[in-house]
Order: sequence, then C-alpha cells, then structure tokens
Amino acid sequence: MMARALSTLILGLSLFLAGSAAAWAAAPPTLPRPEVPLAHSLEAFRQAVRSGGPGKDGIPAIDRPRFETLAEADGWLAPGDRVIGLYRDGEARAYPQRILVWHEIVNDAVAGESLAITYCPLTGSALGFRRGDGTFGVSGRLLNSNLVMYDRATDSEWPQLLGVAIDGSLAGRGLVPERLVWTTWGAWKARYPATRVLSRDTGYVRNYRRDPYGDYNPLAGYYRPESRRLFPVMAEDRRLPPKAMVLAFREAGGAAAVSLPALRRAGILRLTLGERGYVVIHDPELDTGWVYRHPEERDIDPAALRFGPGGVSGAGIAALEPVNAFQVMWFAWAGFHPDSLLVGEGGAP
Amino acid sequence: MSALARLLAALLSRPVTLAMMAATTLGYALLFLWLSGDIAGGGRGGVQLSLTAWQRMFESRGPLRFEPVGLVELGPWVWTLSPLDTLIALGLGLLLGGNLAGLWLARREPAACPRRAPRVAGLAALPALLAGGACCAPLVVVWLGLPIAGGLAVLAPWLIPLAYLALVLGLVRLAAGREQQRQAGRGGGR
Repeated sequence: MMARALSTLILGLSLFLAGSAAAWAAAPPTLPRPEVPLAHSLEAFRQAVRSGGPGKDGIPAIDRPRFETLAEADGWLAPGDRVIGLYRDGEARAYPQRILVWHEIVNDAVAGESLAITYCPLTGSALGFRRGDGTFGVSGRLLNSNLVMYDRATDSEWPQLLGVAIDGSLAGRGLVPERLVWTTWGAWKARYPATRVLSRDTGYVRNYRRDPYGDYNPLAGYYRPESRRLFPVMAEDRRLPPKAMVLAFREAGGAAAVSLPALRRAGILRLTLGERGYVVIHDPELDTGWVYRHPEERDIDPAALRFGPGGVSGAGIAALEPVNAFQVMWFAWAGFHPDSLLVGEGGAP
Repeated sequence: MSALARLLAALLSRPVTLAMMAATTLGYALLFLWLSGDIAGGGRGGVQLSLTAWQRMFESRGPLRFEPVGLVELGPWVWTLSPLDTLIALGLGLLLGGNLAGLWLARREPAACPRRAPRVAGLAALPALLAGGACCAPLVVVWLGLPIAGGLAVLAPWLIPLAYLALVLGLVRLAAGREQQRQAGRGGGR
C-alpha cells in the first residue's frame, strides 16, 4: 500500500517536473540584467496595470503568418500606408499597420530566428523580440496605455515598451530586442523590392480596410499629435504633444527621445547618456533614425553616408556599435521613462 | 407573469406596435453593431459575402463579444459578421422596442387613473452601446477625446447584462401597470 502511494507520488512529481521543464524550454530567451532603466519598482508597475477591455487573447496574435509578394500587396496597400519593416540576414518583411492594429503580435520566424513582431496602436510603438521556441499572446491589459504581452510558456507579463517582465516566473528579466522600422509602404518597397508582406489571410475575420482608432494616411483620430490619450499613465510630461512621435532608445545609463522634426533638420545628432556618447543618424528614405554608441569625438561626414538594406553605411560606421531604437508616442515613453532626455522641440537643441 | 404575457400578446397583435418593435429592433441592432465595430466603412461599393471561420463562432474576444465568422460587404459598408454579437444586439433591440411600444400603448389605452410611464426605458439601452466601444472599437471614446476608456473597460463586463436587466424590468413594470389599469377598469365598471 505504502509502495503504491510512493510510486504514485513519484509519478506525479515526475509529470510535474517534466511539464515545468517543457514550459521552461519554450520560454523566450531572456537577459538576466536587461539594459533598461526602470523608473519604478516591478510592484509599482504591477499596481499600475489596467484592463484594456478585451480579455486575454481577445485580440488574437497571428501564430501562422502567411506572406505575399510586393506585387500582390501593391493591390491593397497605398504608398503612404504605414508598415512595420524587418530586415534580417538578407530577408525583408513588411507587416502592414492596418493588419497589426487588429492583432498586435505576429509570432514569426525570419532567417532562422523565431521572432515576435509586436505593435501597440495606443502608443504607436513597434518592437521586435526574440521568442525562442515559445510564442507571445495579448493579455488584454495595459500599462501606461501600452500593450502588456504574455509568454505562453510561463505566463509572465511583459509590457511591450519595457521589454522586461513585471509579473510571473520571469519577472525582472529582459527580452532580447530586434530592430524594426516604422515607415511607409512606399519607402519600404523602394528600399527592399524583394520584400515579403504579411497577408490578410490571418485565420481571423477582421475589416483590414479600417483602423478602429483613426488613420495614419492621412493622420486622423487617435493618432493626431494633440489628441488625448485614453488610459491613465504613471507620469505625464508636457514638453511635447502627447502623441508626437519620437525616436527613442535606452541603455542602463538612461533613456533618450529624439524629436523627429529635429532629427530630420539636423541629419546627425550627438548626445550623451550617463558617461556614454551616442550618435543618431537620420535615414531620409525610411524617415527613421539609426543609433550608435559613439565614444570618440570622431566626425561623421553626412555626405559620405549611404543608406541601403542593412541601414546606414559609410566611413567609420562599421566600427560603431548599433543600439536598438524605435518610434513611439511621446506620452507613453515619458510614462515609462519620466527622466528621459529629450532632444529637439521642448528639450535640448 | 401572465400580465407580461398579456402585454406581449397585445404588442404583437397590433400592426402599429409590431412595426414599432421591428423598426426599433433593427435600428438599435445596427447602431450597436456599428458602435462595437462589427459594422464599419471600407466597402468597395459591391455586394460580397464570405463565411470562412465558422469554427470561431463561440470564441470570445471580450465580455459578451465573440469572433466574427465571415465578412459581408454591402456598398460602402463592411460587416464582420459574428452571429452571437448579432443575436445579443437583436435581443437588446427587441427589448427596447417592446419598452417603447408598450409605453406608446399605455398612453393610447384609456386610463382609469393617472399613471407614470417608466421613463427609464430608453436610457436602459444606453449601457450596452458603450459595451462594444469599451471592448473592441473605441469609437465613442476617441470622439469624446476623454481618458475614460480605462473606466469603461472596468465596467465593460457589466454593461450588456445591466442593459438586459434594465430593459426586462422596464417591460415588467409596464405589464404590472397595465394589469393594475385593467383591474381598476373592471372595478370601476361594477
């Protein structure tokens, strides 16, 4: 009798451990000490999480994405429509904003790397993360108006803009970011004519001709810079209009946001965060910025810069270390990083 | 209960009240589906029907909100058809129609004594209109430009049941009032 109970206990324990091991094996690759300055404790972040309305997976992630050619996508995308672009090891992919506004996450694999392409319409932010063998879903909750994702292996919760788990067994760990580009379909297809484009055949029925929040082409509704946010934030900063798009990046030494009009005008901007110097280079074709660590006071000749599939190139650029950057609405960035440096209108020149 | 049945029989037996109920049901359902984002612009002018996702019919995407199973395109409109969302909308519309037609009937029938009509009948249908917006299509809150979506999202699970309850109570009150009327009428005739 005793032996039977013991064997049942051992079997149960083995099954539990096997299940846990399988879950951990499918957990996303993480950094134990993410290079993200946290303005609040994880507990404070957890306290500030709000329901966004839809339930868990009520906004369904795309788990089996299908792609089409540039010519096929040209049939339904206008040159001014927004896309989220990804270029990795010779492969280019475009994820139309008008599809992602309904799904927010695409669990994709590009050039042998499993990636989560994520987009939050309420904060205008598109960020890529490595996902390993696992997948991400939409929790239906928001932090500073920003999408809170969950990984399906451990159920840990990840605010997209933070990229750091605030709840669950991976709390405090950070995701490995992957650079995405927020640009227009016209600009993207000009640079990457061999691009594949996410298909509207997502497995779900949605009205992909309409954005429930407004429009980017032309700018309207929720996306207008002066329009008001819908959900509460942890910190407000009125140096810029709430929905003004900034190019943002951060490292352990601090967070910085660059106003896009200022970057367009300057072409190249230099700034210091903590003890470290950075250079931000405007890409006039994609209308985005590329950020590099730039420790020396070495000059970069704007006339010598070239823009191509791999981003920016030119004398001395290859020796610089790239830093992940992304575009985001100012109010959301300031909500997560109230001490952020702001370069441009309202901030440093 | 028999009072409610008698009221419903009276509403369904008169062409005028029947027409009022039908028009209100349809009008309210269309408004509900539009505010919740199931019906929206984006149509290309033609007529098209594709039903491709029946397997998702019972998948939830929010409190009392369900996945669409197909797309109906009619002129400039696109309807992402969720049978369960449509049933909920029609049910609310029917109850609102019943309340409005019942109110109209109460005013038309000879009154033996002064009575107060349930004035909240129309208001009862409002919470449900916000429910769709709180879940999936923040049309109203974007228009208003107010940071109230957070509050609405918290209330969302309760808005549709609240509207149903209020509309059913409205009908019950109307039926009870009509019954009192009938009994008072009979008593007065003796």
